[in-house]
Amino acid sequence: MSVYITSTGMFLPGPPIAVEEVEGILGAVNGKPSSLRVQIQKANKIQTRHYAIDANQQTTHSNTQMASAAATQCLDRAFVAREKVGLLAVATTQGDHPAPGMASMVQAELGLAELEILTTHGICSSSMMALKAAWNSLRLEEHEAALVVSSELASRLLKKQRYEAATASTFAEKRIDFNTEFLRWMLSDGAGALMLQNKPAPKGLSLRIDWVRGFSHAHAFPTCMSVGSAGRVEDTRTWQDYSTYAEAETAGALLLRQDVRLLDNILRMGVDGYLRLVQEGVSKPLEVDHFLCHYSSHHFRDKILDLLDAAGVGIPEERWWTNLYTRGNTGAASLFIMIDEFLRTGEVDIQEGQTVLCFVPESGRFNTTYMQLTVVKQ
Amino acid sequence: MNDGEILIEGAQRSDAETGSSGGIDLNPHAQACLQHLLRVWLGFERDLSTVPLLRRIDLGTYTVEDHRCLLLNLRQQVIEGSRWITRAASSFDRNHAEIRSTIIAHAVDEHRDYELLERDYVASGGRVEDIQAMERNLGSEALHGYLMHRSSRPNPIDLLGAMWIIEGLGEKMARSWADQIQELTGLTEDSTRFMTYHAHNDGDHMLRFYAMLDEVCVNEERTRAIVKTAKVVARLYRLQLEEVEHDLE
Repeated sequence: MSVYITSTGMFLPGPPIAVEEVEGILGAVNGKPSSLRVQIQKANKIQTRHYAIDANQQTTHSNTQMASAAATQCLDRAFVAREKVGLLAVATTQGDHPAPGMASMVQAELGLAELEILTTHGICSSSMMALKAAWNSLRLEEHEAALVVSSELASRLLKKQRYEAATASTFAEKRIDFNTEFLRWMLSDGAGALMLQNKPAPKGLSLRIDWVRGFSHAHAFPTCMSVGSAGRVEDTRTWQDYSTYAEAETAGALLLRQDVRLLDNILRMGVDGYLRLVQEGVSKPLEVDHFLCHYSSHHFRDKILDLLDAAGVGIPEERWWTNLYTRGNTGAASLFIMIDEFLRTGEVDIQEGQTVLCFVPESGRFNTTYMQLTVVKQ
Repeated sequence: MNDGEILIEGAQRSDAETGSSGGIDLNPHAQACLQHLLRVWLGFERDLSTVPLLRRIDLGTYTVEDHRCLLLNLRQQVIEGSRWITRAASSFDRNHAEIRSTIIAHAVDEHRDYELLERDYVASGGRVEDIQAMERNLGSEALHGYLMHRSSRPNPIDLLGAMWIIEGLGEKMARSWADQIQELTGLTEDSTRFMTYHAHNDGDHMLRFYAMLDEVCVNEERTRAIVKTAKVVARLYRLQLEEVEHDLE
């Protein structure tokens, strides 16, 4: 049973925010401009991004609303009745509620009756987890159509008040706490949605899902990107172990962190996974017509290119396509936002029969995920 | 454009990152072999993160004592390294004169590296008598035994797999351990000379490695032998590093 992506949608909150406007939205911590912002923004080369908070750090759209907006656009464009959608799979790093799962909330917002739901929890690769589960449920012929949504509202974690409240954190202690500040200038908000069906759309292009694979290396590496601990080796508590949530916040256990020293490992494991797929005969680099690679920053693009080339499995740069630079790094939502725009932009000549390779690495604890699509026309 | 031939830029991992170029076209078997070797390497590198002493570099808890312990245990491996490599050179017959020359040159380059290690150890607060008296740990015994056994066989081309791992580790020490160790321990570059020194030779060594691989890796059987030896050496090297904290008494 072949499964196809037959419709897509995305939602980006508010206007595009330029590089120099970012700190005006997220806020200058304790009124002082960041000394790292310019350096990090120069490296990631993201020109515009979107936030679901305003310049007073008030939320303008909930994560559920963004997910639902992307899903609605996808449903409106689909050649399938809403009643036919048997599964709603939703991926996010952090839903509006710690419980219940975000899929429940999105289902309610969309008013989709009595369907099966799935929430996947992770970081960037949670989108691929949701997509794979949906793909498999269609392959098992349990449903005719599945709606897969990924949505991120990172800015709520990145607003100045979070850092100001962490008065006993590494961020408060150090003059420069690169690990805690790094992601502040990287991540932004948005949502994407894909419709999966057991047949191609009657009009336009569809994408057949050929395979989805993932390799996680959490058994070997320490945590690299996380929320929930204070970022001190000697302190093994996680946020709920503190007597009060206020105490956890003061200690910095609710700040988003990236251990940048470990980041190289995700590139290496990403290349290792792709080499594995090539050796297994699953992917043929010379047959990849379009490469949609989720990378968090331009800084990593050249590194991935060089590593793939050195391994003899390089994909020519002219076949790479991304909208990172204008849409921002929206974590789990990035791939779906990329697929949506890839199909709609006039920039790329997309032809029936072409192969699209997607790669979503997650630095959280080193998960690498891959997917191959084939462009089809009914 | 990759047209099926690998254009290796000065080659491999490290050079890919520094962007240097050289450019050797490998025969198809050598190319396939190199891809397998890369995966063995990446797996080895990942698994090193599970070795308790090295994990402390990742976690930021590596101490001066850890560093002395590491150096203390590496010395025997470095000394034995020059022994198996010269043994290997003598096991190649006259039909393999080119590879024999390369290996002899390599051995000359490195056969006194252990003296650097001793100086690093002393600069890290250790006593030279202690490092000189240190015997092989359990993993070093296994690694050394295996390498001497393989290098005593006629024309041991599979040892290219061993060189791949050991050279790669030298490059990794320079690339990612030396600076971090200095930062975490407050030790100076005088304590990591063995690690950084390797980087200077690395580019040359890797170019010679590709030339050797292209010369001897000419069928599937040889590819398998080279890759298998790389896997065994990776596993035994990790064993050696796992054993550094185990008392020999």
